[in-house]
Amino acid sequence: MTNFSLAGHVGRWTLNQLAIGARVSVLMVDTFVWMVLAPLRGKGLRFKAAIEDFVEFGVRSLPIVGMICFLIGVIIALQSSYTLAKWGANRFIATLVAVSALREMAPLMTAILITGRSGSAITAEIGTMKVGEEIDALDVMGLNPIKYLVVPKFMAMVLAVPCVTVMAMFIMIFGGFVASVYIVGVDPFIYIDMTRQSLVEKDLLTGMVKSIFFGIAICWVGVYRGLQVEGGAEGVGRQTTSSVVTAIFLIIIIDLIFTVLFYFV
Amino acid sequence: MMAKIHDPIIVVEDLVVRYGDRTVLDGISFEVRQGDVFVILGGSGSGKTTLLRNLVGLMRPASGRILIRGEDFTAMSEDERIELRKKMGMSFQGSALLQSLSLADNVALPLREHTALEESTIDIMTRIKLELVGLGGFEEYLPSALSGGMKKRAGIARAMAMDPEFMFYDEPSAGLDPIVAAGIDQLIRKLQETFRLTSIVVTHEMESVKLIADTVCMLKGGCVVGIGTLEELEQSEHPYVQQFFARRPDDDQSEESAYARALTGLE
Repeated sequence: MTNFSLAGHVGRWTLNQLAIGARVSVLMVDTFVWMVLAPLRGKGLRFKAAIEDFVEFGVRSLPIVGMICFLIGVIIALQSSYTLAKWGANRFIATLVAVSALREMAPLMTAILITGRSGSAITAEIGTMKVGEEIDALDVMGLNPIKYLVVPKFMAMVLAVPCVTVMAMFIMIFGGFVASVYIVGVDPFIYIDMTRQSLVEKDLLTGMVKSIFFGIAICWVGVYRGLQVEGGAEGVGRQTTSSVVTAIFLIIIIDLIFTVLFYFV
Repeated sequence: MMAKIHDPIIVVEDLVVRYGDRTVLDGISFEVRQGDVFVILGGSGSGKTTLLRNLVGLMRPASGRILIRGEDFTAMSEDERIELRKKMGMSFQGSALLQSLSLADNVALPLREHTALEESTIDIMTRIKLELVGLGGFEEYLPSALSGGMKKRAGIARAMAMDPEFMFYDEPSAGLDPIVAAGIDQLIRKLQETFRLTSIVVTHEMESVKLIADTVCMLKGGCVVGIGTLEELEQSEHPYVQQFFARRPDDDQSEESAYARALTGLE
């Protein structure tokens, strides 16, 4: 009996996930059609809205991302000094900070912060619009909600996350520099020299590729959860929470996949 | 019972709508004449809002046809639907104005997206539409700064932006005080008379029905129980129609709640 209900549970869960997968795929295809194919047929894109969203997702997140990443840089430097100092190898702090910032920490921290800041906002905005029948109103006016709402956000997000990530990378390295020089006591010229040696194109590329996919995940999860909202303010709240959790989960999964991939490349 | 019909512009044939395996509308058929105010009347949960959502294409029926000027709306391509929707206006129950835009921008939105008009022309047209519903001078207000009745009027102004041929109203007087509601009824009538608008109104308010209806279609449990002019319906033998007009409570709740359960899927 227990086995049977367990099987039923797994089956229902799987069907449910498949249904979600199907709905997300429809959303992806629609976004693609309205972003790439429709403009080719002369239907236009809402660049102005995309730029406004870019400012919101990217430029306005810079202060918080910058501050957090600076602090993370300081933390990485001090934590690595804990081990490296025993070997008299404090100069390698620079390498560690640079590599972890480029390959891992800057893309990840940026993505998580933008999820909390803008992924949730996308869900809340679209969810509130759905509850207030605004999405239906757009539809009845002959304005496709995907074209009107989703595509600008999608373009903005896929651009904003990598841009902010690049900034975050260098701010993190600067954080590591400040901690190493002023707290650990590494010679600044050695630090800069070591950093320059360890900055390689491949690491930068690794981080950028990841961050593009992070952007895609944040936006799609945000939009999908927003469109799933049912039943008023409570629904908006529930989906917003769920949007942040799902997005961060997906970010970690994507991070893992690319880390494994780049490990072998 | 059915009134003699000249040039029907919207024809609904045997419409069946299901949510999952629950049938919400079961074989609805009626015709709407051009320039009429056609009222869809029914109690809560009678399926009237679902019917309206199908008429404007927000939902697709399981079977049946909706012919608008002879063309099957349910079988159109996305592009054809968008073209047809430019001729449709809909006023939503909660007005559904975009909260982030001012009234003027709300009304101008379909014009900006669908036409290549100059911004100055759009400006003038926006003003005219807002004047039409009695909201001249409120162009720069955000929807959140307006009262319920004003929002509803603004929603109607936005629906009128593209000079539609069909107007759909979802519960136009719901949640408004009697004076404001009467004002909205008057506006619906005025727009219909001025522009020869074919108007379809979903409501449960008998007072508005008396003021605006040319034809009334009464729904119960997803089926049409009566259709005709108000006078014809008042003569109807159907017990539910009589009960609705007499504003008599149910003797037995079981049938209603069975339908509600069927809708919500609750046991």
